Amino acid sequence: MAASPDIANSPHAQPASAVMRIAGLSKRYGEQRALADVSFDVRANEVLGLIGPNGAGKTTLLETAAGILPAEAGEVLWRDVPLPQAHRRNAIFYLPDRLRVWESQFVVSVVEFFASVYGRDPGRVGETIRLVGLSPVLRKRIGALSKGYGRRLMLTLALLTPQPVLFMDEPFDGFDLRQTREVMRVLRDVARHGRSLLVAIHQLVEAERVCDRFVLLADGRVRSIGTLDELRTRSKQPSGSLEDIFLALT
Amino acid sequence: MRSPETAAPRHITTAPLLRKELREITSGRALWTMLLVLCPLVGYSFFQAAALYGEASASARDSPVLASGLSPLDGVLVPSFGALYLGVTLLFPFVAIRTLGHEKETGALRLLVQLPYRMASLIAAKLGAISVAWIIASLPALTVLAIWAALGGHLYAPETLNLLLGHLLYGLLVGSIGLFAAAVSDSAATAAIIALAFTIGSWILDFGLAGQPGLLDWFSRLSLTHTVRTFEQGLLSVSLLLGIAAAIIGFAALATVWLHPGQQLLTKLVGSLITVAVIAGALALSSQIRTSIDVAEDRRNSFPAADQRALAELHQPLIITVHLVPEDPRYVDLRRNVLSKLQRAVPDVTVRLAVGAQTMVGGTSDEAYGDVEYAYGASSARSRSTSHREVLPLIYGLAGKPLPPPIPGQDYPGYPLEASGALPLAWFFGALPLLVVVAWWWTRRAPRIPRYLSQEGGQL
Repeated sequence: MAASPDIANSPHAQPASAVMRIAGLSKRYGEQRALADVSFDVRANEVLGLIGPNGAGKTTLLETAAGILPAEAGEVLWRDVPLPQAHRRNAIFYLPDRLRVWESQFVVSVVEFFASVYGRDPGRVGETIRLVGLSPVLRKRIGALSKGYGRRLMLTLALLTPQPVLFMDEPFDGFDLRQTREVMRVLRDVARHGRSLLVAIHQLVEAERVCDRFVLLADGRVRSIGTLDELRTRSKQPSGSLEDIFLALT
Repeated sequence: MRSPETAAPRHITTAPLLRKELREITSGRALWTMLLVLCPLVGYSFFQAAALYGEASASARDSPVLASGLSPLDGVLVPSFGALYLGVTLLFPFVAIRTLGHEKETGALRLLVQLPYRMASLIAAKLGAISVAWIIASLPALTVLAIWAALGGHLYAPETLNLLLGHLLYGLLVGSIGLFAAAVSDSAATAAIIALAFTIGSWILDFGLAGQPGLLDWFSRLSLTHTVRTFEQGLLSVSLLLGIAAAIIGFAALATVWLHPGQQLLTKLVGSLITVAVIAGALALSSQIRTSIDVAEDRRNSFPAADQRALAELHQPLIITVHLVPEDPRYVDLRRNVLSKLQRAVPDVTVRLAVGAQTMVGGTSDEAYGDVEYAYGASSARSRSTSHREVLPLIYGLAGKPLPPPIPGQDYPGYPLEASGALPLAWFFGALPLLVVVAWWWTRRAPRIPRYLSQEGGQL
């Protein structure tokens, strides 16, 4: 596998206009508050990192915004127009973390299922398979895949979907260092080709390398939003890492 | 509102979804295990039924009267298909639950609900796969028909198809209950408990409440076993047919309401209430339909053909007042031998129960207890008989009609057959299970990789 380009120093896409706005999203699990009045924009062609420690509410935020979980309050707007829960799947595809689905099925069957549902042409499917490196396991059952190949399959499915916004929960889990850098390159490519990505990441080093902007989340609240430079200014740490900034702002 | 246009595919077909559901249901162990259990179960039931039928046939060798009582429907088909009923009741819920419960447990449902299908389409595809699963599961019972015919046994197509229809509807009903149970539960284990509460609960309703007075009797009629019983008796009831269809659609609709994890609980509850109300209305309407067809070759659900024709010409209301409690065996006899047949034959007939319930000591204060009063036009008459041979002449008398002459050649001849079911045991205990294992293995083969996917590559 070829070494990836230096993602950290690559010129990230310039922030463009917001395509989606999450406004005042709140969610409780019984007495426990999971999200409190969460609001931010997702811009066109950007990789937006959702940063927070375990239990910060990242997964809950992704699931409520995608309409997979009901929210107590708040809304999602698509180009300033409210997007009801039932219509969100037209705009967003959400790839949950640690999925190992349809284990008795073969990899090729599930890939073909997604491709036929979305009417993807064979060339596009083949290209995606090769891009993600899924070819060696196409005839394997999903239940027999290693953790890494399981993640590649899920990434393939997400890449076959056409929604303009892609939510991904911990996309680098299960990949080694080299694979992680390749996934980063794939995600950057996806963003460059027209999709916006909201990516929940708890590994801050990876997040710093792949994301254009960051939403810092702690205890279900948004603590800060911005590019790395903006966050450095806000935290008064001109050369601080994302980790330093996160600790300073949360 | 303006929805993102770029993502929604313009032409959505359900074919990929249906193919995926079929692969899911056939790649799991539940269906094949059920099939393997059913092979010997159906086989032994058939063996026993054929043996008993053979013994009865031997006794009837020189007696046409005894032979006329030998119906393959009662003697062979119903007992053999009884094993299928048992399997569907106890095992099929697990097959149905797997189609959804497994996806809920693994998180696949979170991907599925994001696909561009309506929730109803997702459930319909699963119900379609469950229907195919029922057909596969019923193969041992279906081979009974072929074996019985090969042994020289008689099959009357209308009653046989009617029996198959009854079992299919029962299978779909159990399947839709399984889907509903999986939709409302977080785990497959909870779903199994809910589904079995319906199926095994029906047996409790049957054994515990049947024949009890009042509300308990009404509850006993909710038993799922009624679904099959009427079809086993060779009766195709439009009311029952529509009622079961409404129940299947109702459970599937409830499963649809509860499918999406992103719906608020209140929305689901309101949706459920509306669904239940609509289905209850449909059930109430269907229960008003009296049309039914006696498809049994021996016409057990009808009077002799001459009487059927004569009774169809009684255009005035026939009012029957029964001075019996519902749980009285005489009422059960009267209902089976006379009332249900009259309700099918006479255009306008009303049956009233004059006695509501038995007294504490088991008797009743009604002096006319045991009487059945028949009123037609201005005339009326009483009888205590539960046989149509006495009741019909009485009704003809009230209507001023002569007794209709019997139509010759209408008697059911009976179909005795002294065949041994021992040889077919080898099929059910050996060849068929082997075929099932081979079919199972065949479904587990890795598919071919299309050329456009087979080129090596990959970056990760």
